Formats: sequence, structure tokens, C-alpha cells
Amino acid sequence: MHISEGVLSPPVLVAGAALTAAGVAMGLRKMDNEKIPRVAVLTAAFFVASLIRVPLGPSSVHLILNGLLGLVLGWAAFPAILVGLALQAILFQFGGLTTLGANTFIMAAPAVLCYYLFGRSVTSKHPGVATTLAFVCGFSAVLFSALLLAACLVFTGESFLHAARILVLAHLPVMFLEGLVVAFCLAFLMKVKPELLGVTHAAG
Amino acid sequence: MLPVSYPRLTWTATLVISALGIIAFLTLSTRVYAHKVNVFAWVEGDMVFVEGYYPGGKKAQNSLVEVYNSRGEKLLEGKTNKKGEFSFKIPAKDDLRIVLTASMGHKNDFTIAAGDLGGLEPSSKESITTTTKADAPPSATTVDMSRLQVMIDEALDRKLDPVIKLIRNTRKDGPGVTEIVGGIGYIMGLFGLVMYFKSKQERK
Repeated sequence: MHISEGVLSPPVLVAGAALTAAGVAMGLRKMDNEKIPRVAVLTAAFFVASLIRVPLGPSSVHLILNGLLGLVLGWAAFPAILVGLALQAILFQFGGLTTLGANTFIMAAPAVLCYYLFGRSVTSKHPGVATTLAFVCGFSAVLFSALLLAACLVFTGESFLHAARILVLAHLPVMFLEGLVVAFCLAFLMKVKPELLGVTHAAG
Repeated sequence: MLPVSYPRLTWTATLVISALGIIAFLTLSTRVYAHKVNVFAWVEGDMVFVEGYYPGGKKAQNSLVEVYNSRGEKLLEGKTNKKGEFSFKIPAKDDLRIVLTASMGHKNDFTIAAGDLGGLEPSSKESITTTTKADAPPSATTVDMSRLQVMIDEALDRKLDPVIKLIRNTRKDGPGVTEIVGGIGYIMGLFGLVMYFKSKQERK
């Protein structure tokens, strides 16, 4: 999911950076003191998740966790993913500093979308419904990211359908894995820390 | 309906649990991986060998390789084979910038300095042999010298082969644990700073 430097054209990079700046501003406005530690923890989780190779069949994949970030952080997923990607670019040369804006938007926008789609319903009292929705949340966050990435690559001359097909197929194992991880994390959080998901004590 | 008997975790406990989880995950998966393509190129005789691979050693197959000179003019291009390799005859004694473009927005480059392209240009090597053939008896020493040069080059190529292989293999390692733990440290420090300044604002 990390686009390297020198692949995208300047207009795409500027557009990505502008959208990311808007998202980060929104995220920072919504981030109050209580939320900062959880943003920090999930930033660290995001930063590490991309580095861990999960062997799967003949190849290997890495987690993105943007669905989980969106679910727990909402708009604050933007600053979290920006910080995580910036450190990956500086320390490991993944992606790059010029593509930071575009890369952040590709991963953070689906996170926010998932927050609005599943943020409320995922805390359903019915465990089956909650688990299914959590799985769909993790799955679709990666799917949306792959489609956004394909859309960015259209400007480099690749056809959207071709790029989208390759990207979605390549990320299919990640989507399933992310769905499972989000479902597991949600079950865990509902047990030990339901406030993280916006469930108040009275309701819990 | 959350039973009241469940212990509510404090933030420190949550932090410790996530840190332990991260460490456990790290130690379980020995090799790290992420989306980045690497290029390595080396010279053997009058040929340049290019190899493209992802961290973890997966080959970058069927990727576009372009070779530019120091003025940025494209000299030649080609595609890597199934082993992620591509080779070409040294086109000119100049700094060669080798750009590898893999699929899904991955790109990287490697530069070979003019001085590393071997002592003799292929063309000058031929000219020496032809001149020596023309007036063989008087310039016996020059013949020996040029032959000696070729022999030394060949011997060095052979002797350096294991070293080049070693370099190729060490370059395949992904980021180390030190860098990963350092990155997490940066994240915690950054959010610590944010909290510090936010708490200062509130006291005013």
C-alpha cells in the first residue's frame, strides 16, 4: 500500500497532501486530552503492523489495520496514520516523504468511512451481529484502500480496472486477515475497555 | 450487558498489554516485510547485472528496468526475468542510474559510478588486441600487459563473486528490531509532547 517516490505526478501528490491536511486538521480538532493516549497506542500498532510479515501460502502479506484505527479513533485515524507513515518513510524508506499525503489519504479515508459505516452498529448487544460487522469493517477498509490506490495509479497511465483487479486480488488475503483481526480486537475491547468504542458505562 | 465483575483495565495496563502483544508478534514472525522494492546492480566483465527484490527476498519479476546516464538520457530499457534479474552490456563509461519500476506503485533506483565500470571499456579492449596483432613481435610487452589486465579482471570477478553474493543477501534484510522499537519510542514521545502542551494550555 506504500506508493514509492517518483511514481505519482505532482498534481496527484498535491491533491493527496491537501486532502490529508484537511483530514488531519479535522482529526486534531476532534482529539481531546482523553483520546491522546489511545491515538498513541493505535499509531504504534499501525506502525508495527506494516512491518510484520505474515506468511500466507507461497507469498506473504502484512496487516494495515486501518479498519481498526477507524473504528476506535474516527477522524483521529488521519493524524495517527500520518505519524505512522512518516516514521516508516524516515526510518525504513517505505513509501516516501513526497508521497506521504497520498499514502495517508489512501489508508485513512477508508478508516473514517468505516467509522461512519460501522462505528455505532458494531457495538451491538448481539455478539453474532457485532462480530460479523467487525469482520466486514476490517475487510472493507482494505478493499476501499486498494480501490483508492488503483484510482491514484490511473494518473500514471494504468487502466483503473486492470490496476484495481490486481490490487484487490493481491490484497484479498489481507482483507480476510484484517477482518479476523478486527473481529477479535472488537470482542476483546468490548470485554475489557468498552469505552474505547464509545460505549458508556451506563449502557455497558 | 457487561458484567460488573469484569476488572476495568487502567491505561498503564492496556499499554503494557499492547506492548507485550507487539513484542510477542515480533518474536513469532522472525522476518519482517513491507511494501518496498529494492534494486542492486553489480559489474562483471563488460556486463552489468541488475536484481530487483522485495524485503524478505521475494523477487521483483517482470519489472521495467531503465538505464540513464549522468545527463539523464535514457540509454536502454528492459524487463526483469522470473528470478528478478536483468543484465546488459555496459553502454557507456558514465555514471549509470538504474531505475526499477515494479507493479502497484513500487519504484527504486541504484547508481553505478563510472569508476566502478571496470578498468577498460569494451571498445578500448578490442582496439588494444587489434593493434597488438598488427605489430606482434616488437610490442610483446604490451600484449602481455593487456592480457594480464584481462586476466586480472577475470580473476577478480571470480574471487569477488562470493563477496557480491554476500552483499546481495545482506541487503535483503528488512528493518531490524532496533529500528522498530525506536519507531515506537518516537510515537510515544511525540504523543507525550502533545499531551504536555495540551495540559499546559488547559492550566492557563
